[in-house]
Amino acid sequence: MDKIKSTLELSLALARAQFKERNEGSYLGILWYLLGPFLMFLLLLLVFSDRVGTNIPRYPLYLLLGIVMFNFFQKATSESTKAISINRWIIKSINFPRESLISSIVLATLFSHIFEIVLFIVFALFFKVSPAGLIFYPLILIFFCIFVYGASLILATLNVYFVDLDNIWTFVSRLVWLGTPIFYTIGGQTRLFYVSLFNPMYYFITITRDIIVYTRIPEIWMIIGAVIYSLLFLFIGLLIFNKLKIKFAELI
Amino acid sequence: MERIIVEGVSKKFKIGFKKNRSALARFVSLFSGIEPKKIIWALKEVSFSVSSEEIVGIVGKNGSGKSTLLRIIAGIYDVDSGKVSTNGKIVSLINLSMGLKEKLMMEDNIYIFCSLLGLSIKEIKKRFNSIVELSELGNFVSTKIYQFSEGMKQRLAFSIAIHCDPDILLLDEVFEVGDREFKVKSVNKIKEFTKNGTTVLLVSHGLGIVERYCDRVIWLDEGRIVRIGDTKEILNEYQRY
Repeated sequence: MDKIKSTLELSLALARAQFKERNEGSYLGILWYLLGPFLMFLLLLLVFSDRVGTNIPRYPLYLLLGIVMFNFFQKATSESTKAISINRWIIKSINFPRESLISSIVLATLFSHIFEIVLFIVFALFFKVSPAGLIFYPLILIFFCIFVYGASLILATLNVYFVDLDNIWTFVSRLVWLGTPIFYTIGGQTRLFYVSLFNPMYYFITITRDIIVYTRIPEIWMIIGAVIYSLLFLFIGLLIFNKLKIKFAELI
Repeated sequence: MERIIVEGVSKKFKIGFKKNRSALARFVSLFSGIEPKKIIWALKEVSFSVSSEEIVGIVGKNGSGKSTLLRIIAGIYDVDSGKVSTNGKIVSLINLSMGLKEKLMMEDNIYIFCSLLGLSIKEIKKRFNSIVELSELGNFVSTKIYQFSEGMKQRLAFSIAIHCDPDILLLDEVFEVGDREFKVKSVNKIKEFTKNGTTVLLVSHGLGIVERYCDRVIWLDEGRIVRIGDTKEILNEYQRY
C-alpha cells in the first residue's frame, strides 16, 4: 500500500514537471492544448457538416467529443512510446518505479484533457444542449484512463526493443483515428461495424456520446466491452512491462 | 552491520555491432535467427562485502566494469548469475547529471530528482534550502539547467543525492569535475554520513581522493577483482601496474 502511494506521489511530481516542461518558453502556453483540437474541430466541421454530418443529430458536439477523446489516447500513447528512451539517463542512474514514467504521462494528459472537456461544455451550452450527462463522465474516464495506461505500457515496452515503433505508431494511430467513427457514423455498414468491434476507442467514444451528447443510456454490451478492453490492456501492459523493465537500462 | 553482500556476481552484455537497428532489420533477423552480436562479460565472479561506516573505493580502467557493478548493486541491472543483497536505502549517483531536465529550472529539477529518490513533496520542501546551500548555487535557483556548466550540474546532483537519506551511497565519478573547495566540502559531508552508519562506494579515477578517504579499495580489471584490501597497498600496486 505504501508502495502504491509513493509511486502515485512520484507520478504526480513527474506529471507536474512534464507539464511545466511542455509549456516552458511557449507564449500561448496552455492555450495550445485547446487550440489544437479546436482547430481540428473547425476544419472537420467545415468539411463534413454538409456531407456525412447531415445524418447525425447534434453533429458539432458529436464531432468535438470524438476529437477530444481520441486526442487523449493519441497524446498519451505517442508520448509514452518515447518515454523510456528520453529518460534513459535517469533510468540508468536511479532505481525508481519505472511505471511512474508512464503513469505521469497519463496524468499530465488527463490534466489537459480536462481543459478540453471544459471547451466541450462551452460548446454544449452554445448549442443549447444540457451537459448534465457529464456527471457520469468521471466513471467512464476511470476505465478510459486504465485503457490508455495499459496501451501506453505496451507501447513503451515494445519501443525499447523495436526502436522505430515510435515512427510506426505515429502512422498507425492515424489509421486508428480514421478507423474510429469520429467525424462519421458507422450507421448500417456491417463490415465497418465488425471491424470496429476490435477497436476499443469505438466503445469508449460511443458510450460517452450516448450519455453526454444524446443523454440516453448506452447499450450494456458496449459498456461491458469497454470494461473488458480496459482491463485486458492493463493486464497485458503490466505483464510485459514488469517482465521486461529490468532490461530497459541495458537496452537504451 | 553488513550493508552490501555481493556473491559470485557475473553479468554479460550482448554487444550488437549495430545497436539501434530498425524494426525491419530486427524482424528479418528474428526469422532468420541470425543476429550479429558478441557476448562480453562485464563482470565475472565478483564477490565482496561492505559493512556500514565504510567508504570503499573502486578503481580500474575504463570499461573494467565499475559502473556496471554499481548499477547491479542499485538494482538497475539484473545479474546473470550470483546474488546481491543490500540492507538499507540505496541512493545512486551514476551519471545523474546527464539526466537533469535541461529545459527546467534548478528548482524543478530538485523536486523531480528528490521524488525519484523517494522523498515526499513535504520532505523536499523542508530540505530545499539545505540542498541549495550545499550546492552553493543559491543564485541560480531559477536558472534553467542547460545554462549550467558540467561542474554546476554535478554539484547539484550530489547535493540532491546526499539529502535523500542514503544508507548506501553509490557514487560514480562524482568529484572529477568539481572544484577543490566543493570536493573537500562534499567529502567531509560523506564522512559525516558514514559516522552515522552510511556505506559509500566511490568509483573514481582521481586516486588522490581514493587514497585520502577510502578505507578499502577494490581494483577491477576486465570484470574481475584483481585485488581488494587496504587502500595504500592496492593503490601502490595499481599505479605500478
